[in-house]
Amino acid sequence: MPEIITTVYDVFMRTYPGFLEATVVTLQLTAIGVILGTVIGLVFALMKISGSKILQAIANIYITIIRGTPLIVQIMFLYFGIVELYTMSNFWAGAIALGVHNGAYIAEIFRGSIQGIDPGQREASMSLGMDRRQTMSRIVFPQALRRSIPPLGNQFIITLKDSSLVYIIGVAEIFSLGNREAAQSYQPFESFLVVALYYLVLVMIFTFLLRLYENKLDVDRA
Amino acid sequence: MIIGENIHKSFGDLEVLKGVDLHVKPQEVVVLVGVSGSGKSTLLRCFNFLEMINDGKITIDGHTVNPKKDNLTKIRAEVGMVFQHFNLFPHKTVLENVIEAPITVKKMKKEAAKKLGTELLEKVGLGDKANVYPSKLSGGQKQRVAIARSLAMQPKVMLFDEPTSALDPELVGEVLQVMKQLAEEGMTMVVVTHEMKFAKEVADRIIMIDEGKIIESADPKNFFENPQNERTKQFIQLVE
Ligand SMILES: Nc1ncnc2c1ncn2[C@@H]1O[C@H](COP(=O)(O)OP(=O)(O)O)[C@@H](O)[C@H]1O
Ligand SMILES: [Mg+2]
Repeated sequence: MPEIITTVYDVFMRTYPGFLEATVVTLQLTAIGVILGTVIGLVFALMKISGSKILQAIANIYITIIRGTPLIVQIMFLYFGIVELYTMSNFWAGAIALGVHNGAYIAEIFRGSIQGIDPGQREASMSLGMDRRQTMSRIVFPQALRRSIPPLGNQFIITLKDSSLVYIIGVAEIFSLGNREAAQSYQPFESFLVVALYYLVLVMIFTFLLRLYENKLDVDRA
Repeated sequence: MIIGENIHKSFGDLEVLKGVDLHVKPQEVVVLVGVSGSGKSTLLRCFNFLEMINDGKITIDGHTVNPKKDNLTKIRAEVGMVFQHFNLFPHKTVLENVIEAPITVKKMKKEAAKKLGTELLEKVGLGDKANVYPSKLSGGQKQRVAIARSLAMQPKVMLFDEPTSALDPELVGEVLQVMKQLAEEGMTMVVVTHEMKFAKEVADRIIMIDEGKIIESADPKNFFENPQNERTKQFIQLVE
C-alpha cells in the first residue's frame, strides 16, 4: 500500500506541469460549453414556450436528437461535419460540440424554471396593466433565472466531466494527457488515478462554490 | 362604473357563468357571495380580462370593451385586482412592488413613483416596510402591500377575490380595515368574501351567485333579513 502511494506521488510530481496546462484547457472547454449552451438553451427555451407550433416543433426535434444520442457521437459528427468544411481548430470543434450538447439540457432547465413560476405572478402583473413582454422580462424571467442557477451549476459540473470525451478528437485536456501518460509510462493505474484526482478536486471546488452561492440566495430571500 | 351584461363564460364543456348581469355604480361597494365553485372568481377575472367572455358585454366607465379591437392591457390597468394569495413579486422589495407598474406602464418618473409608493404604503400602515422583501412579511402585511400596489395604478374600480381567505384569523382584521377605509373614501369595489360582518358593515349591496347565475341582489339588511331565494336562505344559515 505505501508503495502505491509513492508511485502515484512520483507520477503526480513528474506530470503536474503538463496537467496544469491540460486543466486550463478542460476549464476553457467547460466554460465555453456552458456559456454557449446557455445562449442556445435560452433561445430554444423561448421557442418552446412561444406558443408557435413551428418553433416548438423545431425545439423539440433539437432536444430529442441531442438527448437521444451519445455526446461522443455528437463530437465526432461535429468534428467531421464542421472542421472539414471550415478550417476550425479541434479545440473549437470540441467546445462547440459541448455547447450544442449542453444547449438541449439547459433549454429544459430554463423551460422548467419559467413554467415553474406561479401563474399568479403573471396574473398579478397583467392585472396591473403590464403587457406580455413587460411581464416576461420584468416579472417572470428574473425569478426563473434565479431558480435556474442551481441546476445550471449542476450542468457545469456535468460538463466539466463530459469534456473528457473530446479526447477523441485530440484536444489536449486532462483525460487526453492522462491517456498518453498511461501509455508512455506503462503506469496506467497510477496515471488514471491522478486523472481522477484532478477531476475530483475540480468538481469539489465547484460544488463548494455552488453551495456558497445557493446559501447566499437563501439568505437574501428567506 | 362597471357593467356586465349577459356574461357567459365556459371552460370547454363546463359553462361557469350563465348570463350574469351586474351593474356596479360609481363609489358602490358590492359584495359577492356564493358557495365554492359557483363562479365568483371567474366573474371577477372576466371583469379584468384575465378571462375572455364567450358572450355578453362589459362596460367600464362608459366604454364598452371590444376585446378584439381594444388594448386590453390598458383596460386592465384601470381595474385593480387583489388576489387571495397576494401574488407579490418576491424578487422585488415592498416599495419596488408598488412602483413597478407606475414606472413600466405609466412611464412615471422614478422619484415621483417612489413618493406615490411611500404615501400608499403609509396609507396601508406599512411605511416602515418599504425596503424589505415580501418573504419577511406576515400574510396580512402582504395583502396590504398588494392593495397598495393595485392602488398605485389609480384604478377606477377595485376587485377583491377572497382577500382574507388565506390569512390566519388574527390577521384578517387589518386587511378588512384597509378595505373599509377605501370604501369610505369612495372607491368603487367588488369584493368576493366570506366575511359577513364586513359585508353587513361596508357593502351597499350583497349579491349571491349560484351555479353561474345571480339569484339574489339586495342591500345588506334585506339580504340577511328577507332573502327571496331558497338557496340564499340556506347559505345564510350556513354562514351565520
Ligand atoms: N381555468 C379554468 N379551467 C377550467 N375550469 C375552470 C377554470 N377556472 C375555473 N374553472 C371552474 O369553474 C367553476 C367556477 O370556478 P370559480 O369561478 O373559481 O368559483 P368560485 O370562485 O366561486 O369558487 C369551477 O367548477 C372551476 O373548477
Ligand atoms: Mg374563487
